[in-house]
Parts: sequence; C-alpha cells; structure tokens
Amino acid sequence: MRVLACSRIMAAAAALCLLAATVVAQQGPPARRTNNAPPKPSGATPRTADGHPDLTGVWNGLGDNLNGVPNQIANNGVIIESESSARDLHNGQPVAVFSRNTNRGQNNEEGERAASLLRRSGSNRPIYKPEYWEMVKYNDHNANEEDPSNNCMPAGVPRGAIPSYISQHPNYVMFIYPGQGGLIATQTMYRMIPTDGRQHTPLQELDGTYTGESIGRWEGDTFVVDSWGFNANTWFDQIGGYFHSENMHVIERFRREGNTLTWTATVEDPDVLLEPWTTTPRVQLLNPQPNAMLPESQPCSERDLAHIVTKEHH
Amino acid sequence: MKAPIRAALILAFVAALGVLSAGAQGTVDRAKVLRAAADALGMVRWSDIGTTTTRLPGIDIVNTMEFRGGEYHVTLGYNPPAMRVEMTRTGPDGRAAQHTIQTVRDSYAWDESETGAGLVPGKGTATPAIAAVKERLLQLWTLPYGVVKAALAAGDKTTVSTEGGATVMTFPLSGQLAGITVKATLDSNNLVTRVETRSDNPALANLATQTEYSNYADRAEVLTDIKSPGRIVRRQGGRTILDIEVKAWETNNPYLVFPVPANVKSAATANSR
Repeated sequence: MRVLACSRIMAAAAALCLLAATVVAQQGPPARRTNNAPPKPSGATPRTADGHPDLTGVWNGLGDNLNGVPNQIANNGVIIESESSARDLHNGQPVAVFSRNTNRGQNNEEGERAASLLRRSGSNRPIYKPEYWEMVKYNDHNANEEDPSNNCMPAGVPRGAIPSYISQHPNYVMFIYPGQGGLIATQTMYRMIPTDGRQHTPLQELDGTYTGESIGRWEGDTFVVDSWGFNANTWFDQIGGYFHSENMHVIERFRREGNTLTWTATVEDPDVLLEPWTTTPRVQLLNPQPNAMLPESQPCSERDLAHIVTKEHH
Repeated sequence: MKAPIRAALILAFVAALGVLSAGAQGTVDRAKVLRAAADALGMVRWSDIGTTTTRLPGIDIVNTMEFRGGEYHVTLGYNPPAMRVEMTRTGPDGRAAQHTIQTVRDSYAWDESETGAGLVPGKGTATPAIAAVKERLLQLWTLPYGVVKAALAAGDKTTVSTEGGATVMTFPLSGQLAGITVKATLDSNNLVTRVETRSDNPALANLATQTEYSNYADRAEVLTDIKSPGRIVRRQGGRTILDIEVKAWETNNPYLVFPVPANVKSAATANSR
C-alpha cells in the first residue's frame, strides 16, 4: 500500500513537471519551420471600389527582417516540403533530403558556402546566347566585384521582385523597396506605375533607367506590370551573374490571394537571351499586424567589400 | 503443447526475428552508407543564412559542375542530366590535333563544331548523334556524384556489401540506361574510388567500363567544401580509354546550360517513328 501511495505521488509530481514544461514551451520562442514550401493563402481577398483585388499593404510577412528581405532559401528554386521530401520547383524533379548532421555544426564560412550552393541548385536558369555563356559564368564567379547593385546601387527590375510596400490607387500603384545595408547593400527604390490606360513611350525616346518605364493593367485578378526603357546596370537576381541589355522588356505578374502575394516575371531580351525567361514564382505574406509600418531603411554605405578575401557571394 | 511442436514454433519465431532483423539492418546500412558517401563528397548541405525562422533539413546540393584536365574540358549538370565533353587530341606522327565537342542532354546527343553550335543561325553546326546517348549519359552517372544520386534514386534496389574490407554499393541504372548495373567501391573515407558498370544484355556490352577516382580535394576557384577527384582513369575491355589529371573542378553550381538545337530534336523525333 505504501508503495502504491508513493507511486501515485511520483505520478502526480511527474504530471506537474510535464505541465510546467508545457507552459514553458508555450511561452518560449515559436518552433522554426522545417520546410520552405510557399505559404498557403488564408482569409478573404479584399477588393477596391473598382472590383480589383486590393494589393495595398506591407508585404514582408515572410521576410526575416522588417524591410521584407525575402527568405533567400525559399527563393532558390528548390522546395523542401518536409524533412523527407524536396523537389525542384521549376521541373518537379525530386531532390534527395537528409537529416542535419548533428555531430558537427557549420562555422560561418561553411554556412556561407552552403548558402551559395543552395541558391544556385535550382534548374530554372535564363538561357543566354552561347557567346555570353562565359560572361555570365565570369560575372557569377566574381560577383563580389562585378555585381552592379553592390556599392549601394538600386536592385532594379526584376531583381526587386515583390515590393515591401504597395499602395493601390485608382490611376496608379506605388511600389516601395527599402534599401538594405551589408554586403548585399542596395539603394531604396520606388516605382510609380500608372494604370490609366496610357501606352509606352517609344523605346528609342527613353533614357535607360534602373526601373525603366512601367505601365500597369489588370488581366482578370492579376496585376500585370509591363516595363521597358532600362539601363544595363542591373542583374536579374542577386546570384547568377544574369546581366541584360538596354533592350530588356519585363512583364511582371502579381496575384493576391487572401494574405499571399505571388509574383513572377518574364524577361525578354533578344539581344542576349536565346529565349524569354520566366522566374520561379515567389510568394510573400502580408504583414499580419494591422498597424504594420515600414521602418526607416538602413543608410547604404558599403564598407565590407574591401575586406572580402574569398569569392563566396552572399 | 507437445515439446517438439513448441520447439518448432520457438525455432520459427527466432528465424522470423532473424529475417526481420536482417531486413531492418540492411535498410539501416544502406541509408547510412549512402549518407556517408554523400557527406564525404560534400553533397549534403543546409543553411540558415538569411533566415531566422526556419531550420531546414539538408538536401543534395550538386547540380552543375565543370572540370578541366590536359586537353579535356567537361561541363555537366544533373538537373536536367546533361554533359558536354570537349577534347583536343594531338594526332600521332605530328598530324593535326583533332578537336571534338560531344554533348548529351536527356535523350538527345549531338556533336558541336563549337560550343553552343546550332542554336543561333550561322553559329556552327550541331550534328545529331542519337546512337551515342547511352554511352554519354553513362559517363555522367558514373562520376562520383552521379553514382551517389543514382544509388539514392534506385532506393531498395541498391544493395550494400563488403568486399575485401571495402564497402561496395551495387544498383541498377534506370531510364535510358536501364539494363546496366553499377558497382561502386568506397574507401575508408567513404569516397567513391572505383566504379564498374556491366550489363547482361549483349547489346550493351560496349558500356562495360571500370573507372578509378583518386586524390580527392576541394579544388574549385570558389571554395565549396565539395570534394572532387584529382585523377580519373577509365578502362574498357582492359584498355585504358581515359587518364586525366584534373587541374580545376568548379563545383559552385556554375552557369552551365545545354539547350538542344532544333535540328537535333527533329532528328530524334524522326528516329523514334
């Protein structure tokens, strides 16, 4: 009997301990996601008075900082659906998944190399004309020096991808891309995109700029931004060395579903590309805070580049 | 229960346990060996850089690569499976050097008069070489990274054994290379050192090769922690058909593309009718 009573006390104590542990766990930091699958939309899609989906909002819910810097791993074209399944987002090919090696951690250098590899492992690559293949490879190998957006220049289009803030008005839409410091230092960029039915200025009359001349229109519930009139001082993305000519034509598609915004861009540049190239879709979440604001963008002052001793591109 | 029946039941139970245990052991061993081989090459990688909200598992990170040795220049990729082999062979007795570019992607094979020939009008000639698809794809899948990828893809058909103290993986290839079996030997560091291919189909007899890989190191310009062999020796029918001292092996998934020229696609379509 004494043994039974003792057992009951121990069981009660264990239950109390478990309860306490549960409470601690609930108060601790949220568990990290173990997949990078695009988020599923939730909630209704708000509409403006003219019936179009309302894109207005702070679109940095999936970013890892308040400026909405996109999750770089999620953008590499390989989707990790679970701890046992991954595939190439472009062509669906399975990619082998392994558990983390818990016996040995990675130092910063190894982590950077891994990130560099991860972001280049997808199959969706623009196909350049053969005479430019070596140039693209050279750009990518030497991106710390060659990337035109380093040294605080604008990221441009399509590299800017999903803006951190969108403001939608009857005759125009405003995009804001806050700049960021660090080695991927870029300048704050904005785009005012008319939706009043105007036509493009003839290309030969435009002076090439970083964001070009953009004109918006609605195709059903998809907001289409058609841009040309660029300079040749930007790349398609932070990685890859994907340069373009001044004759680049970009068609971006934004589609809001609930609290998600999906973006793709198709790049036409017959001067350098063998065929048009469409980016892997990116999905961003609306900031869930109703009073969300964009913080002041970090002053852009490049200080790291001179101290880089390896070729790893961040 | 009579003693003999009880004894028989116990024996059967123990035997069943043994079979189950052996099966489970085989599965564990295969997974462990494949993981060790992939780790040794630096293929399994994960990263949290740029994110504080995720803790992703590792994935096979190898896609495109490029290596050079002597007059041998190879570019390759695994998604899609493709390879371009450029060779300059000096002719005997002072004859002029012979320069060839042999390319394969998926089920297409062709020869190029210059890199990327046949893609832009007036820029070189692409000559279909449909009969060479298998031979060229085999080179891709018998490289160390291809061996690990193919062994993983073969799943339960991959078997692991020990020969002379060395771990050996044996598995069938699939797709265009169905009918070919690969036997890969790992060294004490779990690096692929010897790859043999064979087929029971006489029509594929010419695809029986033995390739040896040695002197592994990270020899890329952009360091990646991916190990690549410094020497490759391939034999066929006892004759050495390739002996390369690798000078550089770029493993940073460099920009390498293999678009198929329109005339090569047309030739393959016509051939399949």
